[in-house]
Amino acid sequence: MGRFLGQALAVARKDLVLELRSRERLVVSATFAVLVAVVFSFSLDPTLRARSFAGAMIWVTVIFAGILGLGRSFAMEREQEALSGLLLAPVDRGALFLGKFAANLAILLAVELVVFPVYALFFGLDFGGALGGLALIVLLASTGFMLLGTLFAAVAAHTRLGETVLPVLLLPLLIPVVIFAVSGTQRLLVGRPLEEVGGNLRMLLAFDLIYLFICPVVFGSVVEE
Amino acid sequence: MESLKGTLRWAYALSALAAASVLATFWMIFFYAPTEREMGIVQRIYYVHVPSAWVAFLAFGIVALCSVGYLWLRDDKLDAVAVAAAELGTVFTTIVLLTGPLWGRIAWGTWWVWEPRLTLTLLLWFIYVGYFMLRGATETPERGKRFAAVLGIVGAVDIPLIHVSVNWFRSQHPQPVVLRPEGPAAAPEIVQTLLMGFLAFTLLFFALLLFRYGLERLRARAEALRVRDELDRPLSTSQGVLR
Repeated sequence: MGRFLGQALAVARKDLVLELRSRERLVVSATFAVLVAVVFSFSLDPTLRARSFAGAMIWVTVIFAGILGLGRSFAMEREQEALSGLLLAPVDRGALFLGKFAANLAILLAVELVVFPVYALFFGLDFGGALGGLALIVLLASTGFMLLGTLFAAVAAHTRLGETVLPVLLLPLLIPVVIFAVSGTQRLLVGRPLEEVGGNLRMLLAFDLIYLFICPVVFGSVVEE
Repeated sequence: MESLKGTLRWAYALSALAAASVLATFWMIFFYAPTEREMGIVQRIYYVHVPSAWVAFLAFGIVALCSVGYLWLRDDKLDAVAVAAAELGTVFTTIVLLTGPLWGRIAWGTWWVWEPRLTLTLLLWFIYVGYFMLRGATETPERGKRFAAVLGIVGAVDIPLIHVSVNWFRSQHPQPVVLRPEGPAAAPEIVQTLLMGFLAFTLLFFALLLFRYGLERLRARAEALRVRDELDRPLSTSQGVLR
């Protein structure tokens, strides 16, 4: 078990070091996310109260920016045949998956650290009273998003269409996460107490556990050869 | 080489049964079942709509089981069944999505509402679309089969989760009147027509599944022959063909 986690950590560290040096995914995703917020602000009637639907805007932005970043997750490995090297190394396929997942999750959380304040600033939202609950929702929803996302990023990277096919595969499967993330965020935004999102948190946790069980298992069939 | 004669024989037998039961269902829909009191004549679309939905989800179950089997045993026959079921699943999901709005336009006054069962069926259709997109987009057929199997499995795990999630929205779809724990609430003629519809569509599905399976196996065989032919040919002629 310790060996398994060590391998996963090594893979995650490799990805994060690469990302820290190039910063390409974080910069592209975060810039894109801010631009989506700008587009939203120009496409909405200024007399609308953004607070009553900001949860939806935020999560649409996070999902799109996240998918944009995921597209690069396996691109480097594919371009330079580095994946063959990784597969030849004595690393368990499950550990490889968890490592890639952890790196993707870390990058997404960094993007979300930009998205939420930007939305608060642009649309005058107040997260103040509910930061703890909001952090939990973001963490659980991002975990589910990236578990499915890492799996299908690996699939998409090995197709002729590349990352273009990723949103088509991923979006229908992400609906459960989106529904509970948006409704939870929205309730906290309009000042409902934390107890009201307990159901959302439990459902998101259940989804995460199911994906955590199934994704590493089938990942082995994606990267073999 | 496996013989497809047995498969075809079963396919023809099931087709005959399916044709007879589909005709019987249509007769029952138009002449036997009474016109529903509140919804009127448009309610008769239900005898096509509900059995199609059942077959669409049955197909997805078969795709998932064959996908697990394929990743485990790497038997191309299982993949052929999965493809056949997925294709039919797409067709029947499309039927559900077309007949639903036709009915909804009259009964609800609108073509579409974001209601749990509609949303679930629409997402199922999108997962099927992704399944075929993946198969077509890989460099080797073997990789396409593996990736499609992965999507088949993850999709089958996700469908119940989508079902739970979309149920969070208030349901506008009519609740079951026949298949419910406390017994049917509808008139016996309605129940009989619906059951006949289930039988007919299930038979039709399996007949088409066998034909499509046979076709997929033949296609793979033709492909193998073509590849062998290319390898046998002297290099100069195959270059001539390429030029």
